[in-house]
Amino acid sequence: MPDIEFNEEDVLTRASQGDRDAFGLLYERYIDRIFNYVYYRTGNLHDAEDLTARVFQRAMNHIQNYTDRGVPFSAWLYRIAHNLVANWHRDRSRRQEIPINDVPVLPSKGDHPERNLVRSQEQDALLRFIRRLPAERQNLLILKFVENMSNAEIGAIMGRSEGAVKSLYHRTLLALRDQLGDQNINLDNE
Amino acid sequence: MIRSRTTLSEAQVQALEAHLAGTLKPVTPPIDVVQRLRERIHFLQPEEIVSRLRDWQRMFVVLGGVMSGMLILITVGRALYFLVGRK
Repeated sequence: MPDIEFNEEDVLTRASQGDRDAFGLLYERYIDRIFNYVYYRTGNLHDAEDLTARVFQRAMNHIQNYTDRGVPFSAWLYRIAHNLVANWHRDRSRRQEIPINDVPVLPSKGDHPERNLVRSQEQDALLRFIRRLPAERQNLLILKFVENMSNAEIGAIMGRSEGAVKSLYHRTLLALRDQLGDQNINLDNE
Repeated sequence: MIRSRTTLSEAQVQALEAHLAGTLKPVTPPIDVVQRLRERIHFLQPEEIVSRLRDWQRMFVVLGGVMSGMLILITVGRALYFLVGRK
């Protein structure tokens, strides 16, 4: 969808007035990003699909309540996704988690499909560790590395200052270093 | 290398970020997933209408059930009256 024709403010106004096509434009623009976020937070393709649909359903049902107060529409969507994923984890807490090794590997953008079938043990270990982190730290890492967002953008989504995000990131890296060190994954030979 | 508990060297930060960037890569949702999601959005009914429809359907079922029950009672009553009353 060419960005030159996409005026988000205009599209949001139309969508909030019940224009289904306008909402479709928003969907096309954000589907990949929301799916990525949900996929990494759940580690499960089927639940990622279901939760992504529910994010957009909820957004569509409540878009007239969305008011632009300096918070980007994407931040509002991510907050919906965050809440739904949190509920999903709460519901699943009594059930057994799917081991990360069973999670289907989706093709990464720009990679050859064959390369995606090979996931190193280190990456598996790192993913396992990331999924054990508190939710806000998982959010931070996903938004930073999967979505390539700046600390300021992440702060807008998480409702924190840029400095607080930077500090949280530092603490997360420290925890990660210790964890990887305990698993004898060498960081100094990178 | 001696680990400081609260500080990270620049090399460690770079190494950790390289690990994270290599692991947390953007994925492409399968095309069938995107298509199904698109259909769910475009053909979605607003929740209020769906719930109202569900209520109407429920009311029709209840009303139909009550009417059928009454009809059976009246028929049985008339049959009994016809059989017993005539004696």
